[in-house]
Amino acid sequence: MTSRTFHMPNRIDAVDPMVLALKGQLEGILADETMFRFDICLSEALANLVVHAKTDNENAQIEVTLDFTESIVKAEVSDPDGAQAFDIRDNATELSNVDEMAESGRGLGLILECADAVDYGMVRNRNRLSMTFLQRT
Amino acid sequence: MINTTKHDHDIVAVRPGAERLTAFNAKTFKDEVVALIDDGVTSLLIDFKDVTFLDSSGLGALAGILKKIGHRGDLVICGLNSDITQMFRICRMDRVFKIYRDVPTALQTMSEAT
Repeated sequence: MTSRTFHMPNRIDAVDPMVLALKGQLEGILADETMFRFDICLSEALANLVVHAKTDNENAQIEVTLDFTESIVKAEVSDPDGAQAFDIRDNATELSNVDEMAESGRGLGLILECADAVDYGMVRNRNRLSMTFLQRT
Repeated sequence: MINTTKHDHDIVAVRPGAERLTAFNAKTFKDEVVALIDDGVTSLLIDFKDVTFLDSSGLGALAGILKKIGHRGDLVICGLNSDITQMFRICRMDRVFKIYRDVPTALQTMSEAT
């Protein structure tokens, strides 16, 4: 198992560079289909966190930890210090229930649809979203 | 951010001008395309040939553009790679948009409809 930890500013312009850096760690390891699901989930999770996890500390960082082998990837996203707890499993709308013409409301459902497992809870005094991806060969 | 090309039959082709259409730039993209509609464009072709990734915000922007153009015009999409095609399928948006393989195919179909 290989582990890597990354930090990103709590800003929307930091999301895409962070996701690309994370994907870079998994290049040549994940199949295209798994990489696609990873890209979707990390993009949605980080953007949701930046938009909704407001904190008093503008400099609070978002921490992302990757643990991976050739068959499984676990991405753990820790909320910035001071953010309110937000369990996406309690707030997601099933994609089949989203109005086709809606301009928002698909992100959390996409995470639940694309990740093989999703967990959320307090770890070492910080709220953490955990997403697991299995290689489907 | 968008690039536009005018074709016969007053069809305007739009390229988003970014490899990733996401929460960072989706609103800018939508606002710029809506400005085209406000300026009188009624036949829009959005070409995703150079776009590698689209998130829910990008899809939401497209839904907003479709609502804006409404019954007054035509909105067609082309050039989707396999990941973006899959994104449309997962979100059931492949049932909402007219999607073609590439610009020539889309232009031909749009021209025949006018």
